[in-house]
Amino acid sequence: MKKYILTAFLSASLLGSASAATLVYGGNGEPVSLEPGNVTDGISLTVQRQIYDTLVDFKDGTTDAVPGLAVSWRSNPAATSWTFNLRKNVKFQDGTPFNADAVLFNWNRFWDPKADSGFRDQGRTYEIMGDLLGGFKGDKTAVIKDIVKLDDYTVRFDLTGGNSVFPVVAGSSYFGIASPTAIKAQGTKYGTPASTPVGTGPFSFVSWKTGDAVTLKANMSYWGTKPRVDGVVIRSIKDASQRLNELKAGTIDFASDLTPDSLAAVRSDKALTAVLKPSFNVGFVSMNNKNPILAKQAVRQALSMAINKKAIAEGFWNGLAVSNSSFLPPVMGWANSKDVPSDYKYDPAAAKKMLADAGYPNGFSVDFWYMPVSRPYFPTPKPIAEAVAADLSAIGVKVNLRTEDWAKYLQDRNKEPGFDMYMIGWTGDYGDPDNFYGAYYGANASDDINYNPASLQTLLEQGRAALTQDAKAKVYSQLHKLTYEAAYRIPMVHSQPLAAARTYVKNWVPSPLGSEAWNKILLVGKR
Amino acid sequence: MGVFVLRRLWRTLLVLIGISVVVFAFVRALPGDPATAILGERANPESVARLTKQLGLDKPWFLNLAEPGRLFDAQYPKYLGKVLSGDLDKGQKSQIPVADELKSRFPATLELSLAAMFFALIVGLPAGIVAALRRNSVWDSLATTISLVGVSMPVFWLGLLLSYYFAVVLGWFPPSSRLSVGVDLQPLTGMDVLDGLLRGRPDVSWDALRHLVLPAITLGSIPMAITARITRSSLLEVLGQDYVRTAKAKGLAPRLVTLKHAMRNAMLPVVTVVGLQAGLLLGGAVLTETIFSWPGLGSWLYDAISGRDYPVIQGGVIFAALVVSVVNLAVDLSYALLDPRIQYR
Repeated sequence: MKKYILTAFLSASLLGSASAATLVYGGNGEPVSLEPGNVTDGISLTVQRQIYDTLVDFKDGTTDAVPGLAVSWRSNPAATSWTFNLRKNVKFQDGTPFNADAVLFNWNRFWDPKADSGFRDQGRTYEIMGDLLGGFKGDKTAVIKDIVKLDDYTVRFDLTGGNSVFPVVAGSSYFGIASPTAIKAQGTKYGTPASTPVGTGPFSFVSWKTGDAVTLKANMSYWGTKPRVDGVVIRSIKDASQRLNELKAGTIDFASDLTPDSLAAVRSDKALTAVLKPSFNVGFVSMNNKNPILAKQAVRQALSMAINKKAIAEGFWNGLAVSNSSFLPPVMGWANSKDVPSDYKYDPAAAKKMLADAGYPNGFSVDFWYMPVSRPYFPTPKPIAEAVAADLSAIGVKVNLRTEDWAKYLQDRNKEPGFDMYMIGWTGDYGDPDNFYGAYYGANASDDINYNPASLQTLLEQGRAALTQDAKAKVYSQLHKLTYEAAYRIPMVHSQPLAAARTYVKNWVPSPLGSEAWNKILLVGKR
Repeated sequence: MGVFVLRRLWRTLLVLIGISVVVFAFVRALPGDPATAILGERANPESVARLTKQLGLDKPWFLNLAEPGRLFDAQYPKYLGKVLSGDLDKGQKSQIPVADELKSRFPATLELSLAAMFFALIVGLPAGIVAALRRNSVWDSLATTISLVGVSMPVFWLGLLLSYYFAVVLGWFPPSSRLSVGVDLQPLTGMDVLDGLLRGRPDVSWDALRHLVLPAITLGSIPMAITARITRSSLLEVLGQDYVRTAKAKGLAPRLVTLKHAMRNAMLPVVTVVGLQAGLLLGGAVLTETIFSWPGLGSWLYDAISGRDYPVIQGGVIFAALVVSVVNLAVDLSYALLDPRIQYR
């Protein structure tokens, strides 16, 4: 009996170590689906990025477009039509060829409500098309007018208006290209744990154990850099503290979305390396024009001056955040206006005087809503809201802190009467200012602050149509100035999400866009 | 007894139908809709309206009174039709059949709950007995203090604490999950410890057991404390009864008096409380499963509620109600085994 138990114990000790060349990632949850175009959550996209490629890729650690499944792309002068030349000799992991038919099959699924194998009657929604590309075939607001196959390796997207950002939107990880054969064969099961998702990416699907982990193996026929590990296991570890525990215990190799206060614990552990992702988000405080007091520009500017943003950023992000006047993260600083100061100067005395001049010498009372959930741009919303409230109380503004369930919060901000002031944020999908300004100042996105002047919409349209960075910079610098002076949204921080890896994990370059292929990662001396 | 069981099962069926109606209406009455939850920060009135329509949630809840010709073109009749044909629908976004998720996740929660209850009983019962037999002694104070700590310590904090010390600092147990990465086990019952043995893989059972210890202690801490307290008070009450004094006066050995005469009667309230704990364990599993990345029902349902995933909430709640009903029935039946005076009609 003793021998039996000993054998079991020793075997189990050995079981704990997977293949030495298997990479184990601590994900912040479980994927919703592995079907491209149909989900927007981060962990689904992280897994999908390993299985699928997109037409356009991005240079490691940046938002600069580089060839993906398309080797080149060009537009007509008005940017109303984009032609993609596809990579030849690429095969899906099931051995079927990648070509123009595959691109059409996938994009028609995303865009055309009547497309074969779109499975819309089975709950597929492709809502990201509405968000990033205005809607679906037949919608008045849809960005895509038509998708045309020119030859086996050339595809043209005709658009309803000039759109210079289309290639990078098409390159975002939502739009992976899947094997048409696999989708047709697996039907509505495709993307669920009971299916076998197939793409052209560096790793191919092995298994998905619900609630536990997704296992992938290296695709040694990959057209790009061949994976340098045998496989990847993406584990579902929802709790950030537990992800840190797993890293420290050595049961996972790398993880993202650690809380900023974990930085010291990571740095003090010799077995770990802190990996700082480039900042690509904005956390901000919005103010509602329907509140008669907040409708006054001087009041909003006074509140902007009363909040000690730098102290808040240092206190709550452990140095992993910057605070400035821009709605855009630092990597897009080229689009900021040089006429706009780096930020409203923190000056409570001047803010108090401005309030008095605006007719509120004794301050006023306002509801300030904070998010009930944690996000990289606001990891601890309640204490941050308390700090803002303390700053505002110093100039006589009585802040009533309020919150509610997240789904209701998102709903109520857009409903009458809306929130007076509230916290929210945005993480970018692609490297263009339009993705940030459009998301919160766009025609469909301004109900929360009820501020939507025609001049702003004109600038947004001009920015979308501008082809060069210089041309874009001219437009977006005007937007920067306009929104800075209007001060309806106070940019609080651009944070650097904290990730960490065991020291033997090399060549991991996280993308600011949220997910990157792991084919270049190698393990030097693991275990 | 047979009639009693049949009657209870019939009542359970009615309860389940009632619950399906209530949960269907309640989840829809909750503020915050699925489209907004799915869209998150991207939600704006247009995108929410579009997605609501795509999900079929723009239809009436129970009956389409606006179009008498299509009276049953509503959400509940469609759902009930599916349920009655054995289909619990699919997750709104994941498209994973709810029945499949229940099948894979329930054994994980069951294994964890059984282990937690085992821990609660193996520690709680002796602690309660010792505290009662050594009333007002150091042992009594110790048992009382442990119960108090067990009840008052937040599960979330206890889980993280145990994980940090026993997994990170001491390295005795894995921090989370059910099996080590790389361990492959084809499920039979879905309970890994048992399946390892059934498959002739004691090494896998041992690995699963090591993963089970910390979450079981975490989840079992509150039931352990409650069991200890109830056992102590129940046993103290019984020990003061005349028949116990009589047994002692007859010269029976103290151990025999305690085990054979007092304990059996003291166990009735304990069994009742343990039965009630079964329902609480399902609720308590939400936090424990989240902390320990345990792929069970609790964390799954929690996510569904946050994301307003109606089919998952409905299927999960109906299933949880079924489990609690069955456990309560088992508890009721066990009374007769403990006390022959109890009869079922």
